[in-house]
Amino acid sequence: MSLRNPKLLLAIPAVALIFVFMILPITNMIEMSFRTPGHSEPFGDDYTTMHYDRILSDGYYWGVLGRSLLTAGAVTLLCLIVSYPIAWHMSKAKGLKAVFLYACIASPLMTGVLVRNFGWMIAAALNGPLNETLLALGMIERPLRLLFTQGLVILALVHVFVPFMVLPINNALRNISPTLIEASSSMGATRREVFRDIILPLSFPGIYPGMILVYVLAVAAYVTPALLGGQMVSYMPTLIIGELTGTFQWPFGSALAIVLSVSTILVVGLFTALTSRLMERSKA
Amino acid sequence: MSEMTNTFSNQKPVNVGFGILIVLLYIFLMAPLVMIIGASFTNGMMIEFPPQGFSWRWYIEFFERKDLVDGLLMSLRIGAITAVVTMTVAMMAAMAGQVISGKLSGWFQLGMTLPLLVPELLTAVGLLFFLYKIQMAKTVMGLQMGHILMSFPYAYVSIAAAIRQVPASLEEASASLGATGWQTFRLVILPLVMPGLAMGGIFSFINSFDLYTISLLLKPLGGNTLPLALFDFLTYEFKPTAAAAATLSILLSIGGVALVQKLVGLQRAF
Repeated sequence: MSLRNPKLLLAIPAVALIFVFMILPITNMIEMSFRTPGHSEPFGDDYTTMHYDRILSDGYYWGVLGRSLLTAGAVTLLCLIVSYPIAWHMSKAKGLKAVFLYACIASPLMTGVLVRNFGWMIAAALNGPLNETLLALGMIERPLRLLFTQGLVILALVHVFVPFMVLPINNALRNISPTLIEASSSMGATRREVFRDIILPLSFPGIYPGMILVYVLAVAAYVTPALLGGQMVSYMPTLIIGELTGTFQWPFGSALAIVLSVSTILVVGLFTALTSRLMERSKA
Repeated sequence: MSEMTNTFSNQKPVNVGFGILIVLLYIFLMAPLVMIIGASFTNGMMIEFPPQGFSWRWYIEFFERKDLVDGLLMSLRIGAITAVVTMTVAMMAAMAGQVISGKLSGWFQLGMTLPLLVPELLTAVGLLFFLYKIQMAKTVMGLQMGHILMSFPYAYVSIAAAIRQVPASLEEASASLGATGWQTFRLVILPLVMPGLAMGGIFSFINSFDLYTISLLLKPLGGNTLPLALFDFLTYEFKPTAAAAATLSILLSIGGVALVQKLVGLQRAF
């Protein structure tokens, strides 16, 4: 790489945009979390660790954090279960059918989260399609109150993030050479063996980034719990935004956001360590 | 259907079961959109699916609601500015990215897509403090910067993919024939990356149009974007007008999908 190449200068606006309006502000948030509470201003002049002490010593915040982390985990797993068959089916499609399937993934993806969540509000109404379906299947005897439940939050979040999982898995599956599958099945491998020993390991490069991306985004998702979760259950993002916009406790809100971020990084790190060990074992 | 299923054509029941599963999963994907569009045409007073009868009344009501229409106009304006700015900045960055090689190239890509990978909530909180410090809190300009930041990666990814397709030899040929750098850009590179550039603009515009969390925290005084106005409307009124507003937003995204298909093909875009 030659630093003298004048073309490199073209990157300055983009680098400045991301550095000044993203990296700097997020770093700033760490400092903000150690500020004392303000009286007339949203934050004070001195530094303290009181916000972290408060969060870590209060079972309430541990509970909310645990709920957020677990909910995101459930969303990630369900996303994988829903996305894999779709990605598999998509990776086989050609021509007009492929275009149609891509459009079915892209249209929800390009529709706003708020709008899609609103769709689930309609579906979850007392006499809405979800209840009607459950009644028709005989799974329930009278309509359930689905709105403002944790189950609906999870369902809507899965819907939000499925495209983020389908696309990388689909790309990984498309990269598997068909001759590899033909060869192994002609050598007597059963359908299940082909899937377990060839297709699944080779789709891992799509599954792994998909799962991490969905988990990280699901932990910090705000709109869905705010709209569909109701007032009874709190998640970290709704708590953080409440502190920042409702009570104007910026340092405390920042500390909550940092606790959430650090926990997310720990979970992702743990997941990476576990899966890389699993990968090594399956190779051996 | 495929090589795989042909090889195992003796296992028909599995394929039928898989077919049903796939259909159900696609119904799951499309259901919220279909229900909103359906509910927007109801003739009744409630948001419900299936709708009661058919009417355009809630669309008329939408355009008579000043708060919602103001939100729509604000979202369109911010989205248009976001698209133009991100297309320009991303085009420049993608050209610079081409001359970066080796390991640094990967880091550059990562950096350029950072706003997509870090949760919107964190960026929004950070920006809230930052804009307060530089005295741009609660201004339209501040909100605009947030939208540009959040939409930039979409423009960058599309444009960088398009520029990678342009062979370096074309540029060299143009230069050896005596064209200046600007002439080469305008007459050789720009026409070739035009579809990718336009796609980047569409993605960027639609992403800006849909943003919620960052708009909530950076909301300017007295101004609402359409998603913010819609959230308030859903919380306090919950009438089919909301379905009409949401349908307009869905039509925008379907239009975007169709345009992307026409410009570069969905399969290459995603």
